Amino acid sequence: MSWTTSLFLRLSPLILPYLVLFCGGVLLTVCQSVGVLTPLPHAGGALDAYAGILVDRSFFASFAFSLGVAAVSALFAVTAGTILAYRVWQLPGKLSTAALVYKIPLILPHIAVAFVILVFWGQSGILASAAHSVGLIQSMNEFPNFLYSGWGIGMVLAYTLKGTPFAMILAMALLTRFDTRQIQTASMLGASGLRIFYSIVLPRLAPAMHTGFIILFLYNFGAFDIPFILSESRPGMLSIHVYNLYFKHDLARRPEAMAILTIMFGFAVLFIIVYSRVVRRLESGVRKL
Amino acid sequence: MTKTVAFLAALCAMLVLSDPLPAQPTDASLLAGPFAQIEEQARGSQVRWYMFGGWAHVNTWVDTYVAGEMKKRYDIDLVRVPMDAGVFVNKLLNEKAAGKKVGTIDLLWINGENFKNAKEAGLLYGPFAHKLPTVARVVDPGSVALDFGYAVDGYEAPYGRAQFVFEYDTATVGKPPKTVAALKEWIRANPGRFTYPQPPDFTGSAFVRQIFYAVTGGHEQYLAGWDADLFARNAPLLWDWFNAIEPFLWQKGRTYPKDSAFLDTLFSRGEVAFGMSYHPAHAQNKIIEGSYPETVRTFVMEDGSIYNTHFTAIPFNSPNKSGAMVLADFLISVDAQLSKYSPDNWGDFPALDLNRLSPQDRKRFQAVDLGPATLGSEQLDPVSVPEIPSAYLEALEQGWKEHVLDN
Repeated sequence: MSWTTSLFLRLSPLILPYLVLFCGGVLLTVCQSVGVLTPLPHAGGALDAYAGILVDRSFFASFAFSLGVAAVSALFAVTAGTILAYRVWQLPGKLSTAALVYKIPLILPHIAVAFVILVFWGQSGILASAAHSVGLIQSMNEFPNFLYSGWGIGMVLAYTLKGTPFAMILAMALLTRFDTRQIQTASMLGASGLRIFYSIVLPRLAPAMHTGFIILFLYNFGAFDIPFILSESRPGMLSIHVYNLYFKHDLARRPEAMAILTIMFGFAVLFIIVYSRVVRRLESGVRKL
Repeated sequence: MTKTVAFLAALCAMLVLSDPLPAQPTDASLLAGPFAQIEEQARGSQVRWYMFGGWAHVNTWVDTYVAGEMKKRYDIDLVRVPMDAGVFVNKLLNEKAAGKKVGTIDLLWINGENFKNAKEAGLLYGPFAHKLPTVARVVDPGSVALDFGYAVDGYEAPYGRAQFVFEYDTATVGKPPKTVAALKEWIRANPGRFTYPQPPDFTGSAFVRQIFYAVTGGHEQYLAGWDADLFARNAPLLWDWFNAIEPFLWQKGRTYPKDSAFLDTLFSRGEVAFGMSYHPAHAQNKIIEGSYPETVRTFVMEDGSIYNTHFTAIPFNSPNKSGAMVLADFLISVDAQLSKYSPDNWGDFPALDLNRLSPQDRKRFQAVDLGPATLGSEQLDPVSVPEIPSAYLEALEQGWKEHVLDN
């Protein structure tokens, strides 16, 4: 047995599911988007589905809206996660054990977090009742209409809540290996807390923040469960649109659903490439500590 | 390297060629023999019934009454598997594409677009409905020839009948609007108090069709099948109707409830004044369940109220087709239809023809107390109009998105 074969065999528990499930799935999606291997014989041309999508204004509205929700919530989560991680890291030993509660939203499934937001932030929700009972608002309807504002605030809240502890964990992993003498030195030389954070801590945490942002942003962009509970009708999230096309419409529209998925996948790959290039270029100018 | 390639190729071949079993040879002969033979073969087997699982009372009825009777009469173990129709159609599509000859589903609860999708993609076994003795005896063949204008051809057996109704609370709304025109006036006079589930939700989509009939001059013109010119001519009237009410809807029409369960919640909390359902007994069920106040009643529009029949069908790769047929036959039997008709169990209307029953059986149906919130056939029948052919359904859902939602 050659070296490559034995390596392949030893890695096969990882490679096989990847090849069959992931690559197979992507391949099938692309095929069906051009009308090959569809459940019903495809009548039109290969690129009909794409042509239809690219002249549909509502598709671009949904695309932009999904991007916006994903970017804003990933940004919030990474910012909050990094600051919180730094704060928790600075806590004395006992307290930092107690601070482990931050991991709770990590364990909750996305759909549960969506329900938490729904129950807390709705106009008939817990926060509205609380505000009403302490006399902040006269009637429940005066509570700001967060969930149906047209801005996807509910989804941003849910994704931020879910993403913050994730960003914290990534930052924590770097902080535990952090050399505290750098901070002590800076502080002895008279640097302020803010200055230390910006000049010493932040550059060290940047790789975790970039990774966290990419993962959260792309997940938020394509995921289905939170929009399923919290998405509004217009502009709709792309994932809900695809779900409806796939499960609730005529089978003849399968290529359309798959074309949207293909475009989303292509965007994700492109985004990772461009983002990492930009980050690398930015970092090449920065002096490493 | 060549070895690796060969190894990969072998793996791919194994994946592609797996499960080379031919279809059960009994499948074709099953339909040739007498039904007694099917019953004999089904005895002592297990039947897995995939059905919509969103209604607790229906699940209970299936798990207790139907499962109990199947065990008692045929020694059949009934396993109810909750799954949305769109999902099991996709499951079957995948199984067919993967060449899976022996599946896990024996019977489906299905109709409309899902049936059309399944039948066109060759996912169904049959025709078997003519084989069921009860169907031949008590069902009016004319009433079940079409499912959303699509020929049934014996690929599904009737199971129940539903009709579109509106719900209101007599404590808050004195006189509900009885025509679509009056409904429009009511909505504009009471901003924020009306909404409907967003198509392609089943109920919301049915509401759109209901309005389509009413504002474009009735259903007859559409029953002949898809007519693009007719649709292009009539649809703008529908979009105008919806766009005229949109600013007066719940949340100013910026958003819509994503499904009928969401609308039910809004209605039960009093946020909107009207509920709607494709099941005449829905309000009564909700009252019994305790989520609607006792004062809720249902009403229909004089312009017409859409009805449809729901069915059961057998997948091409059902491992127990004889058991599935026995269950389908039992479901349309007088006993099962009667039990299903009772609002304490479900309140689903019978799909059989009462005129074909013996006088005693007919009396048993007439004696069922539907409860104060459910309309009887004397109110429902005069306004009942058939479902639209499914090509219109797709066009209406797409058109609603383009001209109302994205407008």
